[in-house]
Formats: sequence, structure tokens, C-alpha cells
Amino acid sequence: MTQYAMVIDLNRCVGCHACAIACKAEWGVPAEYHRSWLRRLGPAMTPDGMSYTYFPGLCNHCDDPVCVPVCEADPEEKVFTDPKTGKTMTMEVRATYKHPFTGAVLIDHDRCIGCEMCVDACPYGARYMDYTLDEPKADKCTFCMERVEHGEVPACVKTCLAGARIFGDLHDKKSEVYDLVHNKGAIRLTSSEVVIGPNVYYIGNPRDLHLLKETCTPHKMNAGRTSRRAMLAGLHRRGGNLLAGAGLFGAVAGLVDLTSSDSNSEDKSF
Amino acid sequence: MKLTRRRFLQNAGITAAALATWKIPKGVLASPVPAATMASGLPGSLGAQEVTSVCEMCFWRCLLTGKIKNGRLVKLEGNPKSPANGTKLCARGNAGIKLLYDPDRLKYPMKRVGTRGEGKWQRITWDEALDTTAENLNRIKKEHGMESLALFYHGASAKFIEPFWHHIGNPNRTEPAFFQCRGSRDIGYLLTFGDSPGSPERMDMEKTRLMVFLGTHLGENIHVSHVMHYIEGLCNGAKLVVVDPRFSASAAKADKWLAIRPGTDTALLLAWINYIIQHGLYDKEFVAKYTTGFKKLKDSVKDCTLDWAAGLTDIPAGQIKETAELMGKLAPHVVIHCGRFVAWYGNDTQRSRALAILAAILGTYGVEGGMYLKSKPPRPKASLFQSDEEESDLEPISDKWPFPPPGTPSEGLIEATLTGKPYPIKSWVIWGTNTIQTIPASHRTIEALKKLDFVLAVDQIPNDQTLFADIILPQCTYLERYDTVYVWKDVKVPYLSVRQPMVKPLYESRDPYWITKQLAERLGYSDCFPYKDAKEYAEKKLESVDLSLEKLNKEGGVVTFQGRPYFTRENPPEFDTSDGKVQLYSEEMEDEDLDPIPRFEPTPAPPKGYVRLLSGRTPVHTFTRTRNNVWLNAEQSENDLWLNDKVAKKLGIKNGEEVCMENQRGVKTRPIKVKVTPGIRWDCVYIVHGYGQLSRHLTQAYHKGVSDGLTFAKNTLDPVTGANAMRVNFVRLIKDGKVLEMPELGPLPSGIPRFQM
Ligand code: SF4
Ligand code: SF4
Ligand code: SF4
Repeated sequence: MTQYAMVIDLNRCVGCHACAIACKAEWGVPAEYHRSWLRRLGPAMTPDGMSYTYFPGLCNHCDDPVCVPVCEADPEEKVFTDPKTGKTMTMEVRATYKHPFTGAVLIDHDRCIGCEMCVDACPYGARYMDYTLDEPKADKCTFCMERVEHGEVPACVKTCLAGARIFGDLHDKKSEVYDLVHNKGAIRLTSSEVVIGPNVYYIGNPRDLHLLKETCTPHKMNAGRTSRRAMLAGLHRRGGNLLAGAGLFGAVAGLVDLTSSDSNSEDKSF
Repeated sequence: MKLTRRRFLQNAGITAAALATWKIPKGVLASPVPAATMASGLPGSLGAQEVTSVCEMCFWRCLLTGKIKNGRLVKLEGNPKSPANGTKLCARGNAGIKLLYDPDRLKYPMKRVGTRGEGKWQRITWDEALDTTAENLNRIKKEHGMESLALFYHGASAKFIEPFWHHIGNPNRTEPAFFQCRGSRDIGYLLTFGDSPGSPERMDMEKTRLMVFLGTHLGENIHVSHVMHYIEGLCNGAKLVVVDPRFSASAAKADKWLAIRPGTDTALLLAWINYIIQHGLYDKEFVAKYTTGFKKLKDSVKDCTLDWAAGLTDIPAGQIKETAELMGKLAPHVVIHCGRFVAWYGNDTQRSRALAILAAILGTYGVEGGMYLKSKPPRPKASLFQSDEEESDLEPISDKWPFPPPGTPSEGLIEATLTGKPYPIKSWVIWGTNTIQTIPASHRTIEALKKLDFVLAVDQIPNDQTLFADIILPQCTYLERYDTVYVWKDVKVPYLSVRQPMVKPLYESRDPYWITKQLAERLGYSDCFPYKDAKEYAEKKLESVDLSLEKLNKEGGVVTFQGRPYFTRENPPEFDTSDGKVQLYSEEMEDEDLDPIPRFEPTPAPPKGYVRLLSGRTPVHTFTRTRNNVWLNAEQSENDLWLNDKVAKKLGIKNGEEVCMENQRGVKTRPIKVKVTPGIRWDCVYIVHGYGQLSRHLTQAYHKGVSDGLTFAKNTLDPVTGANAMRVNFVRLIKDGKVLEMPELGPLPSGIPRFQM
């Protein structure tokens, strides 16, 4: 089975932000949000010398994606197809799930109820609520699975002028990502508190990796539910039950909108 | 592996009770899928109609493929057929769509109804706008002569007005961004090698063993193919030496960062040259065969010792020696990069000469891994004019300087507008350039703009200069028009491509060819611009090299030619100088009473209590003109002020706090956030150029960040070229209303005077 992964080479990355913009263009991501982002780090002193580097970030398509089980949408049976073999498998999933054949963590937008639980749960800040929509939905990087299925590389990889983004199947021993992860010391941003198996890796010189780890490693698992959120989710649920039937769904969406003022999905500082 | 809900629940340690469910009826929710995705059966940009073209988000002009769905441009990608950028574009190139669909765009011709600078306009028709413009220009010309009209221009959109100005015999034309960027550099190389280093700069970084950057900030300056070669070179094991008062994006990738005292670069270069000569590390064969003036050079630099340079530059003598030896060891496969955006201290031509001389004595010219040669691809031709250029007996203002780059130094035109000398200038035509932000000492530019009899601005968005215009003409973007046929010769594999529209011009915007032709007719030059439109012009040009739009599009939008990047027996060295040799000693400069060999001329150090204000680039913006792009704005909407960490500690300023700057004329800026970092020297601060726009009509960019241009109080001109200098201004900081004296963390060497207030 496949686990798609990305290795980002900070020795090559020049911090041009092209990846972030190409992603926006490809998926029509609203200006204020990012599926793929770039944070500039430094110049700062590290034990290995001065570093001025970047944090090109995106959803890690984690092995144990904590964003998935918190989803409030109803579970439904879904048929998954292995893009390589055509084999199928049926699974009961909520609106967001980890694809059993590709390892990509995805969202069924039609089924997302906009409860924002997954956005809160992700310790990497990789998800955002799209409040530009009439019915706000969660969104994030899909590893461009839609493109990959059509034989294309992810949009950010295609535009990366430094060739810094290497994409492939981590379970394929002949892949470049496998080599980089298993033989070339690619690292991931994990801490003793956050161990959920991210599939985005970084390589670089010691000083850049030091600064990256120091400033961008998450150290807190979000309970995923501040009391306010939990309350809103509860309201939402009840309102949904009551109002959806009465055809007054818009009123509920109004309630959900209240969260936008304290939603900080853009804040990548952990 | 069956992924069940239960398994996730266990992993996340969340109880099932928390997960009560509810059902939404299908179809109630609006689809969150972006419009672009909905337009065709395929998601994202897949399955779109494709048109190839040429990027114009910066002057590098990467080749594009536009993806169009339902008549809407949904994505720009690099043209995979491009021998330069392939499928790659930079952030700005990717964001071109948001220039096209910028709701703030200039949509209709307008006339000013408020005072100059107020930005109050009224919509008028194209006829009224063109007629009013022509009436005014004709009247002013009649009253004060041709010389009372001046053109400030930039970029591809001026590819018709600029030659027109030339054609009518008017020498008053200036491209400020060129003068303020690489004008002096090009002249320095021209005087040495008989040719400019080109654009793309002909630096063979992918094949080199050592790159030396002094004035190069790759990573902050992003030009796709150039950065690709740079990264390829580094990954192939090339060494990198970066000279910069600041730990730039390039310094971050360097083996050696030489944190030079601002303004002393020429001293370092002369010491390198001297060391390399004294220790026989130069290319004796190249020097003997292809250069003149070596003995004079040797003599002239003999006192430029390591210790002398160390004192001036604040770089340890050991580091100067070590890097000189590295150059000697790896020559000729060494790139001495010529730099870009290098109008710094007003002695920039001479510094560029020193760079060129260093490149020459190391024998890097025309060699693999050095400076490759210009190619000679076919040149498409089609004349825009049916008559000869008009003779003019005017003495051009540019004659004030011995070697001005093409056109007139911007400052010469501003001075003439303000003083009436050598002749009065009464009207400016401003075509695609933000004269306020681009030219230092903006207060003078604004004063001049207010004084003029008539101002025309042609642009795509309501940039600062449009606030001062009497008539504003909306020009369409590079994605909505044909322009011309482009040929790249400063590359190893030369190629040709053409700009073509991806969508029809929006609103009432018109393409530059049409606008220029209309104006020319009304000014009495109806024989100019003989083609129906820019498309026919492009076709005629293509025809001259046996191509057509159809053929070119069949080829995928690009045709490549044979290059000749290196010297060979069949391709022997040729230098287009007075004696056909590389001029280490320049007799041409001597004839003009200029130093024939560069000397170290100190630039004044900051006055007590001040530091030097440096400015540079961000990879997400081009000059001052992309700040309103909503995607690029979201990446970096403001600039911050880099401040040395030790200085910050002394002043009690913390990272992220806000301060104001006050320049040496006492002008204060709006607040700016401080970035406290060890990555900058104590005697300077740094901001990114181009922020802090004045035009309220730019809803994204208005008053975001702080403008360097508006903070530059003083204008210093390069005596060789007349180009402005961008690093000759000083600031101190104000925090909570209190003026802070900037501490000095090191002594000033005796050879460097202080700036006199
Ligand atoms: S990075 Fe966040 S959103 Fe992505 S899979 Fe991991 S937990 Fe989920
Ligand atoms: S496109 Fe590539 S080089 Fe540019 S910021 Fe993204 S990862 Fe880095
Ligand atoms: S470097 Fe970027 S902005 Fe410049 S032409 Fe290339 S893609 Fe366009």
C-alpha cells in the first residue's frame, strides 16, 4: 500500500513562496488562507552557526491524524479505490478520513458540517475554516491527490524552482522519498507530546534544521475543544437537528460564524 | 489495514461519547469547491485550455502556459517547453492572475477633479482622454519646444512609447528602475569588456566551482532561471562567498559570509585584485593575450594590502586572504557575480569596474563556470516607423555625465522641472513607473509633479504617481495583449517567444500599442505604427525570421537556437572596446578625467547617533508594483526593520516592537515592526524596498509597511553615469515618542569621513 510523503530540502529551498501561491491558484484557496505556507525563520544564532531559513509547511497526512476522529459529521460508508491496482475497499468514515490506499488525509467537502473540530485538533495548524463560503467548511492540503490521480505532480512541486520538494511513495523502496527518509536523515517535526507520524520530512544543514525544529515543532496536542468551541459544536448539532429539517439551515450557519473572531487558523506559530 | 473510527478514537484518546452525530440532508450545503474546479469535469487547473505567453510580473520574462476554463484564466504555470524556466514560476509569476482580476484596477480613462495628489477622478471617454492629452502636449510643445516634454517609463508596456519618444527626437526619457538598479553596473562592464553582463546576467553558476556575490541577493531577488542555476551550482558542490553587511538569503547558503562595513566594497575588491596579482594567482595567459593596462593596474593597487582593506572593511585580513586564495585556486571556473540592484553609494560604476577587472584577471570570461558569452540568434525585425528619426539640435541633459546609460538620468529631468535649467520641462508622460517610490528624495519628485503644466499617467492599477496625473489611461495587463516578439541572447541556449493574450482586455483597458498609436496620430505622427494592431506587428516580426504565430504555437510557444557560450577555436575572444581588448586601464575614462583604474573613494559614514538605511528585495514582490496583488500581499503585506541584536539590547528594543525612523532631514516614518537579529551589522538597519504606498485606491497596499523611497532624503549621483544612489541616507529610531541615539559598537577608521548634517 502507498503512503504518499513529501521531503523538503532546505539546502535547496530559497524561500520564494512560489509553492504557497501555486497551491492557491490551483485550488482557488482564498487569499487569507493557506493550504501550503512558507514562514521565514531567522537570521538567528544556533549552536551550529547563524541560520536564515524557511518553514515550507503543509498538511503532514499523518499516520495517526488526530484531525480525523474529532469530525462531527455522520459516519457513512465510502468505497475507496486503489489508484494503482483498481482494488476497492469499503469503510465507514466521517467527513474527513485517511485514504486507505494513498495515505492522504482528505475532506469530503459535501459532508463537512463546518464544526471546526478538525481545525482545532491539528497540532500543526494545517487546517483552516474557509469563512469566505456561505457555509464555512474546513479545508487543507490534499497532497494534490486529484492531480496525482491524473498523472500530475502536486502543484507546489511542479512550480518549485529550486527542486526542493520531493514527492513520492514512502512505502516504495525505490522512491527518492524513501531514500531521503531512510538513508539521508530526513527529519520530521515531532516532539515528545506530538507523535502522530507526520509524512512531511525536512532535510538541511544542522543549523537550519536546528532553527526549524526550535521554532516550528508543535509541543501541544490540542484537546480540540476549547469550552467555547465545544459549546458551539453542541449548539450546532442541536440546531442542525432541529433546523435542518425546518429548512432554516442558514440560521445555524450564522451561529457558526461567531467563531470566526477567535478562529486563528492562519496562525502558524505554535 | 482497515481504518475504523474506533482506531482513530483510541489513538486520539477521545471517548466515543463525545462524538454524537447528526445528519444533514444532502444538497443543503453550498458546494465549497472553488469555481475553477467546477468549470470543467477535471479538478483544479487540469483539463484547461492552454495558451503560451511571456510573464511580465518582473523583467526576467519567464515563459508561461496559461490555463483557461470557461473564459477565465485559472492558473499560470511555466511553459514546459521553456529551455530556461521549464514548468517553474516564482511566487509573483504564479500570482499574475490576481493582477488581471484585481478589483482595484484602472478600468476607464479618467481625469483629475481634485488637486494634484488628492486622487479625485472622474470617468471620461477614451476620445476625451486622448484628445485632452494631445491638446495639452501639442500646446506645451508649441509654447516651450519639444524639450519641455519628458517621458518616465518602465517595462514592456513602454515598448512603443519609448521608441516613439526617440523617433520624434526627444532625448528626455528615463527608465528610473533601470538607472536605480543596474545602469551603472552595465556601464562599468561596458567600459571593461565592451559589453554589459547582460540580463539574464551571463553567470555560469550551474557549472562553476566558486561564486562570489557582492551585490547579489539570490533568494531575495528571484529570477527563476538564475536561481535554478545558482541552486544547481551549489548542489554540484560549488563554494559560495557572500559579501554583505547583512546575513542575506544568499549569505545563509554561503561558505563564507564577509560582513562588510557599508560603503567599503571597492577597498575589498582592490585588495583581492592586489593579492591575486602579487601571488601570481591570476590567469597569465588571458591577461597577456586579451587585456591592456595590466602593469598600470598592478602599480595602482599595490598599496591595497590585506591590512589596509581589513581596517576599512571591518573584515579580518585572514578572511580576505583566504577568499582571494580560493578564487585563485578555483579560477577560471569562478563566477564573480556582477550584482543587480547595485545603485548604492554613488561610486557604483567604479565598483562595478573593479568587479569586472577581478573577473577578467581570473580569466573567467567566456569560460565554463565563469561568465559565458552572449549568443547571436536571429533578430526579428519590423519597423514601427516609416520615416527617419527626427533630428534634434537639443543638447541632451544626459550630456552632463560622461557615460550615461541609454536615456537621461531621472534626476536630470527632475532638476530641470524644478529649476528650469538647462531648459524648462513642463509636462511628464509617466508610463508604468511609480516615480514617487522609485526615485530617491521623493519630496523633490512630488514638488516637481505639482509644478508641471500637464501630467499623463498610463498604468494598470492606481499606483502613487497616478494621484498626480491630470489624465489617467487604463492599460491592460500582460495577460490580455500581444506585445512583441522576444529573443533571449544572454542565455546558453537562445530562444524566441511571443506574448499573447489569454483573455480579452477587461473593462475599458487597452493595450500599449493601441494607446501609443492613438496618441501618435493625435500628435501629428500618423505615419508611425503602421500595423493594425500589436498582433499584426508580432506577425510581421515573426515573418522576418520565417516564423508565424501559428508555427510558433505549434512548437509550444518557443523556438530555440544554437548557442555559443564559451570561447573555442571557432569562437575566439572578441571584445567590443576601443582596442579590442579587455580594458583593465580605461583610456576612455581617463579622457573624461575619471579614474582609469578604480580607486577606493570613501562614502561618508553615518553622523553620530545615526545608522545607514539599507534596502533590498523580497522574493514575493517586484519593485513597488506588486504590493496590491492580494495573494502576494497576503504572503508579506508589510516590511520589518532589521536591527542588530546588540544595538537592540542597548536601546531596549525587543523583537516585534514598533518604532518609527527619522531620517537626517528630520522626516519621520510611520511605525514599523523591528526584527531583532544578529544577521545585520550594528552600523546599519535594513528594510525591504517598495512598501508604504500612498495611493488610497490601492486597497491592499495603501499604507502597509514603510517606504524606503520616501525615507531617502538625499540624492547622490554617480559622477560617471548620473544614476541615483540608494544607500546614502541615515536614520535613527523613535520609540514611544522618544528619539534614540544609535550606539556605535566599533571605531570608524580614519580614512572614512562622517556625513555632515
Ligand atoms: S497535519 Fe494536521 S490536518 Fe494534516 S493529517 Fe496531521 S493532524 Fe491532520
Ligand atoms: S517553491 Fe520551493 S524554493 Fe520556493 S519556497 Fe517553496 S519549497 Fe522553497
Ligand atoms: S522571475 Fe517570476 S515574475 Fe519574473 S518573469 Fe519569471 S515568473 Fe515572472
